[in-house]
Amino acid sequence: MFIRSSDELPGVTVLRRFPVPRNFNVSADSRIERGKTWHAPSDATRVKKFEIYRYDPDSGQNPRIETYEVDLDTCGPMVLDALIAIKNDIDPTLTFRRSCREGVCGSCSMNIDGTNWLACTRFISDTAEPATIYPLNHLKVIKDLVPDLTQLFVQYSLIEPWLHTTTPEPEKERLQSPEDRGKVDGFYECILCFCCTSGCPSHWWNGDRFLGPAVLLQSYRWLIDSRDEATGDRLDDLEDPFRLYRCHTILNCTRTCPKQLNPGKAIAAIKKMIVQRRS
Amino acid sequence: MAHDKRPLSPDLQIYRPQLTSVLSISHRVTGIALSVGTLLLVSWLLAAAAGPQAYSTVQGVMHSWLGRVLLFGCTFSFFFHLCNGIRHLVWDAGYGFELRTIYVSGWTVVAASTALTVAAWFSSFVAME
Repeated sequence: MFIRSSDELPGVTVLRRFPVPRNFNVSADSRIERGKTWHAPSDATRVKKFEIYRYDPDSGQNPRIETYEVDLDTCGPMVLDALIAIKNDIDPTLTFRRSCREGVCGSCSMNIDGTNWLACTRFISDTAEPATIYPLNHLKVIKDLVPDLTQLFVQYSLIEPWLHTTTPEPEKERLQSPEDRGKVDGFYECILCFCCTSGCPSHWWNGDRFLGPAVLLQSYRWLIDSRDEATGDRLDDLEDPFRLYRCHTILNCTRTCPKQLNPGKAIAAIKKMIVQRRS
Repeated sequence: MAHDKRPLSPDLQIYRPQLTSVLSISHRVTGIALSVGTLLLVSWLLAAAAGPQAYSTVQGVMHSWLGRVLLFGCTFSFFFHLCNGIRHLVWDAGYGFELRTIYVSGWTVVAASTALTVAAWFSSFVAME
């Protein structure tokens, strides 16, 4: 009930999803249909069901939910292991992004049991029966669990995530005190998995103009960097009805971050910076 | 081109309701309910100004089963919006963003608005006796 850290699973389940029709407000092309079930071999003893969102751009068909029965004795402990087991042994057409398999690269972010997390750091034993796996929310799907992140990376480039300086280059590096360096702790660790942005209802409705939690967290990381000399320009760029202020403090971002960072806090701090520089 | 027909992945239809999002949407819903509830209050005032007959008609509606449910909804909306509004003010000042604090303040809002609603109705029933 009182969640301390984003890696805690919800203690009680009142509703698995909001009480709206399954294909509520969904365009004809995006309607999800029922797919087939891939049964486990009859000699399997520990069988776990995974309901996975599938979409094949070449088939001309709508997305569908397929059910895979996985023999847990032949599979590693994490959700990513199950996906790899399905791809290797059951259905080689299943498509997903993955790389580091240890929560560092941010490739395998997806919606697991209704919340966004990295498939490589979620234990299969912590998932529901059946586990439901969807791509990140409200993004165009390229194939299966691979969403198109172009828009999100364009928004990231918009905040110019690098050091801006006007003073002449020092002979050696630009120095930073340990205290100033400490200010970016909790903000620089973002791996850009976009679990937060794609779980933000405000970004669902206004994603074309609202930058979203991941990008704003990064923006704050550069705003408070003591070596950066464009703080004013950066704040000017954010002072806009949509880019920053479409954050309505819903805080799904802080609840879902797989790195336990706090985008909600960063966004509030940016809003405060904008107010403070006026006075 | 296949690109244009790419489906949009589901969002609201599958995302798990959490205290964060549920309280946020409730804040909006209670805000709208309060605007509508104001019409109720205005109609009551207008009836009072219009004369005893109109007033007793509106009083009758307010005391009916449906009227009481609506008034109870208005009371809860008022206290919830008030309590969660204070929570938003604290956030606007830059405090209370640790996940633990978000959940503690969230459940506090739920408990406080429920308790205040019950207290308000209880005291009004006592006053009417």
